[in-house]
Amino acid sequence: MVVVGLAFWALLFGLSFRVLKYFQSVEVIGDLLAHHLLGMILMVFFSLLIFSHIITALSNLYLSSDLELCHASPAPIEQVFLSRAIYTVMDSSWMVIVFGLPVMMAYALVFKPGFGFYFSLLHMGLGVTLIAGAFGILLTMVLVRLFPAQRTRDVIMLLGVCGLGGLYMMFRLLRPERLVDPDAFFSIAQYMAALQGPDSPYLPTHWMTETLWAHLSRSSGKEILFHSGLLWSTAGALTAINVWVAEAIYFSGFSKSQEAKRRRAGKRLLDFFVAMIKRPFKPELGAIIDKDLRAFFRDNTQWSQLLLLGALVVVYVYNFSVLPLDKSPIRIEFLQNEIAFFNVGLAGFVLSAVSVRFIFPAVSSEGAAFWIIRSSPVPLKRFLWTKFALYLLPMLVLGEMLILLTNHLLEVTPFMMALSSATMFLSVFGIVALGVGMGAMYPNFNHQNIAQVATGFGGLMFMILSAAFVALIVVLEAGPVYLLVMAELRGVAVAGWQWVLIVLSFSAVLFIMAAAVYKPMTMGLKALSEHE
Amino acid sequence: MIKLIHLTKTYKELRAVDDLNLEVKEGSLFGFLGPNGAGKTTTIKMMAGVLKPTSGRIIINGMDLAEEPEKVKQCIGFIPDRPYLYEKLTGMEFMKFIAGLYGMDHASSLQTRIRDLLEMFDLTHWRDELIESYSHGMKQRLVMCSALLPQPKVLIVDEPMVGLDPRGARLVKDLFMEQSRKKTTLFMSTHSLEVAAEVCQEIAIIQAGKIIARGTSEDLRKASGVDGSLESVFLKLTEGKRIAHATPLSAS
Repeated sequence: MVVVGLAFWALLFGLSFRVLKYFQSVEVIGDLLAHHLLGMILMVFFSLLIFSHIITALSNLYLSSDLELCHASPAPIEQVFLSRAIYTVMDSSWMVIVFGLPVMMAYALVFKPGFGFYFSLLHMGLGVTLIAGAFGILLTMVLVRLFPAQRTRDVIMLLGVCGLGGLYMMFRLLRPERLVDPDAFFSIAQYMAALQGPDSPYLPTHWMTETLWAHLSRSSGKEILFHSGLLWSTAGALTAINVWVAEAIYFSGFSKSQEAKRRRAGKRLLDFFVAMIKRPFKPELGAIIDKDLRAFFRDNTQWSQLLLLGALVVVYVYNFSVLPLDKSPIRIEFLQNEIAFFNVGLAGFVLSAVSVRFIFPAVSSEGAAFWIIRSSPVPLKRFLWTKFALYLLPMLVLGEMLILLTNHLLEVTPFMMALSSATMFLSVFGIVALGVGMGAMYPNFNHQNIAQVATGFGGLMFMILSAAFVALIVVLEAGPVYLLVMAELRGVAVAGWQWVLIVLSFSAVLFIMAAAVYKPMTMGLKALSEHE
Repeated sequence: MIKLIHLTKTYKELRAVDDLNLEVKEGSLFGFLGPNGAGKTTTIKMMAGVLKPTSGRIIINGMDLAEEPEKVKQCIGFIPDRPYLYEKLTGMEFMKFIAGLYGMDHASSLQTRIRDLLEMFDLTHWRDELIESYSHGMKQRLVMCSALLPQPKVLIVDEPMVGLDPRGARLVKDLFMEQSRKKTTLFMSTHSLEVAAEVCQEIAIIQAGKIIARGTSEDLRKASGVDGSLESVFLKLTEGKRIAHATPLSAS
């Protein structure tokens, strides 16, 4: 994990450095772009900090199991609140700060500012973090006053996922790539309007951006003191307000979060949906499917991820609709078919990413209640294949949707349409089996949050193997596809030796697909049978 | 009805159950006592098919658990010490889920049986609430309902009284005695000597993975030479071995 973290850190630094170097080389608007980028980055970090503080504050101030001890101690309530609030600020801000550092280092390396930049970065960074923390904690206290803490978590997660999905789609549909191509705009005024970010002089990020930019551009820093004063007075005022509000409502909110709430389950629509899905299965398999579907759709942190998935599909397909194929020097029919072929690989990687979140944790999702399956007369083999069957259909639909929609936009030949959808159809079996099988090989029945299961060693191994599986299929099919497409485009027959190569390659593909289904499932079954 | 033959379970450095041999007759209410870490829960989990023995055999209803696990599990009801359940199901849905796992059809007789069991355990008003809002005792009662649903021939129970209020505990004791009268075999581990003395027809005491005594309460009194409560008998029999838990392999 440390290696992955360091690699991501280095990538972020390298990318920021290259972008800023490029901006510097663009006359007139280069500095403008760098200035706006700084504002946008700080705004993103500020939003992330607020969101992160809300989630962490819920856990540290209301849901953590050691809180009962803290509140039973003779410490005054404001001391308990302050100690947990400070812990929350540290807990939720370190990661944003660590990953903000490479971007700021890239700015410093490109613009070579004086000592004042580093000093301002340090103290204003701390000030902005405190403001985000105070705001996030304040919002959490108010929300818990309105809803029970458990329900608040669901509401926040749902809003967070919707917000993230919406932001992702909005960002992509705005086509940010046009900003580095001013020729695409009719006038400079239109271009400048497109550059306007969500900035306001009342935002702490604006005060920080202007201060840092004054140092970076070596312009007169007349407003540095004013902006610093604004930032720290706001941070101080918000902290004081937090303590006052905490004295008034924190304990009553905590007390409310301890009360068990009767939760009546929403039924009618779910009953109908579950009955439809499980109809073709035997009672014991239907029972497992019934239970899994109900658990999934009643967990707001689970089903809401489907919204993100929807946004992903929309953006994925949209990307193909704006591909500038007409600008390419390569013959368009060849390019269309080549992209369609490699799209099988790309869609396979997308399915792997979806699988690591939804299918890999399928076995672990049984949690501590797995004893019920173990002590029941349902054999583990049937249990595993039921999980496989449950996830196969939605994954087939998703895979084929990605392939058929993009192929339709690319206007590929019928041969390529048939080949890519058949390859995707069969690959889905392998990806789903890898997900279920490896999930059984690396189960985590003691998780607190099912989303954590995917981030462990097993999840990483699954991602690597699933990506390798998809890549191998693409590599093995590339040769025969090239021969067949070229023969079709040129209007010539395929030679005898070429047919041998084609048959051998496709046979190898079928063998690998069968092995990708059989092997992980048998290994998963063995590991699960021996799990203690 | 239940036969444990040379049953052994080792965890890396630890022998939790050590060459255990035991036979329980049909319809008997068998108490399994022992200090903390003696191997009670490990033995029970192996009998329920949740843990795999290192060696030895478990014969239930004339069938070997290792050879015919599905058939054996079909006639077992298991009640673990901690009631971990599927929190996002309602009580009623959980009962139907169990019925599905045991291949029971969804006829009206099943609905009636589920309703009767929920009524018996005072859960009728909570049957459409998510299990996540149940208290510990309610979850424990729901597990008991689900274990009784397939009408098992053998009930394997680990610490049944934990988390139950006095009324719930009384209900469970009466229920176990009634089940025994109906020829259901009960194998129950407990810390509560009072419960064991009240309901069990036969008792075995396990220490460091081995059975150190077995018989009726009277037999145990004779064996220990103590003419007092079962608590005194238990303390006498496990005397000097109070800190001896399961045997480390290096010591054997």
